[in-house]
Amino acid sequence: MHHLVIDRWSRGSSSLHARDPRAKLAALLVFLVAVSTTPPRAQLAFAAYAALLIFAVHLARLPIRGLAGRAALVLPFSATFALITWWSGDALHALALAEKSFLSGMAALLLVSSTPLTAWTSALESWHVPRMLILVIQFVYRYLFVIAEQAQRMRWAALCRRGAQQSYFDFSAAAGLLGVLFARSWERADGIYHAMLARGFRGRFVPAPPPPFRASDALFFTACLGGCLGIRMLL
Amino acid sequence: MHIPDGFLTPPVWGTLDAISAPAVAWVARRAQRDTQDHRIPLLGVMGAFVFAAQMINFPVGPGTSGHLVGGALLAIVLGPAAAALVMTAILLLQALIFQDGGVLALGANIFNMALVGVAAGYLPYGLWGRKPVSIFAAGAFSVMTSACLALGQLRISGVPMTGSLLWASLGLFLVSAVIEGAITVAAVRAIERLNSVWLAGGPAPSSSRALPALAMALLVLVVVGTLIASTAPDGIQRLTAPGPDAAWTLRVVDGIGGLILILALCFLGGKLISRRRSA
Repeated sequence: MHHLVIDRWSRGSSSLHARDPRAKLAALLVFLVAVSTTPPRAQLAFAAYAALLIFAVHLARLPIRGLAGRAALVLPFSATFALITWWSGDALHALALAEKSFLSGMAALLLVSSTPLTAWTSALESWHVPRMLILVIQFVYRYLFVIAEQAQRMRWAALCRRGAQQSYFDFSAAAGLLGVLFARSWERADGIYHAMLARGFRGRFVPAPPPPFRASDALFFTACLGGCLGIRMLL
Repeated sequence: MHIPDGFLTPPVWGTLDAISAPAVAWVARRAQRDTQDHRIPLLGVMGAFVFAAQMINFPVGPGTSGHLVGGALLAIVLGPAAAALVMTAILLLQALIFQDGGVLALGANIFNMALVGVAAGYLPYGLWGRKPVSIFAAGAFSVMTSACLALGQLRISGVPMTGSLLWASLGLFLVSAVIEGAITVAAVRAIERLNSVWLAGGPAPSSSRALPALAMALLVLVVVGTLIASTAPDGIQRLTAPGPDAAWTLRVVDGIGGLILILALCFLGGKLISRRRSA
């Protein structure tokens, strides 16, 4: 499945995987700001951003096609708006819209494909993002696949029972499905809490101390900052 | 309705990031105060449930189907603060892992769907109690406000949408709002039939009517204001950003300045919260 691939990628080993998540998050923000502020006429700059991304993907030893394919999920939405813009006579702006959204999506994807979830959430926590939010993110991510697969199985079962035709009554059938999914999720949450208590949970999680921010991390961030600023100013 | 990066201009995403960051910090504090320990896993599992519930299609006509968006249902089950927090977590995961919405545009998406969307999905419930009508209004109102806000922000950012296109999209929003209302009513009824205790754990409707009514009026004002403001994007852009011919350095300074402002706000918010907690 899609998400599991990202999870596997994020556990790889490369010089990009080894960088501190804080440095990678900061680099992502710099890249996104640079792309966001690039005017539509600077088409050369977009090509340079793409080259920078391809270099980084290569550095992370990740499959460029797989990443690009997943980043292309944003394209239907941006293509719609690009068409609207093109229609109103601004072809360059339309092109830039699609390019910006694709490059930004690709950059975000590169971050999560080279950084495990626990690493980037701990980076967010060290930036004073509320701990409660971090907790909820980790729980959602952890149970997302379990419950999504349950929903998938229930959907298949319902399809098998009723065949392909749809009618008004299917609306209430779908509502019933949703209710049962809700019930199962609720029971699961109860079970999770009891399992946590059994393992010594005392009302708060103890975060691991963040790893030291090394000189190579600072160098990586400086290189990204320099690359983005250089492209933004020169092209 | 998830706005990707590249659509909003730096002043728009910068402003909304700067609004959403402290708002999320506040919401997180409220949620932590109101949530007992044993409900912490519940918040996460309910987030995962909303994700998964989107795989269940509701037939709404020949060949078309809709799915639950979930803001109103979460608000009814968990209460507004916890629901907004869970929605924020969902949006963050969607932006980073599922390519649904941008990272810089996260502030805008959180504002539209987690903050205003959940508030809009809670207010009819607070005003009229748990009746089918108010639950329907909660779902419909939540989707309608989020969509109108996103549309307004896109137009302020200069995405050209005029005349018939605008009306067509507003009509589309209305249809999805009605669908969400119907699905929310059906879902609440199905959950109630299985075990009504699950919904009793949620918030009680507020005793005073004045406050929710006032909040609802304010909400409508914000949405209508955004839409009206978006009819004159040129004026706003002239106010907030130099034109395309002006020095681009100003724009970069704008963007980076906004980012620094957001980080500073987060940092200050975090400091404040940790001090209060230790006090």
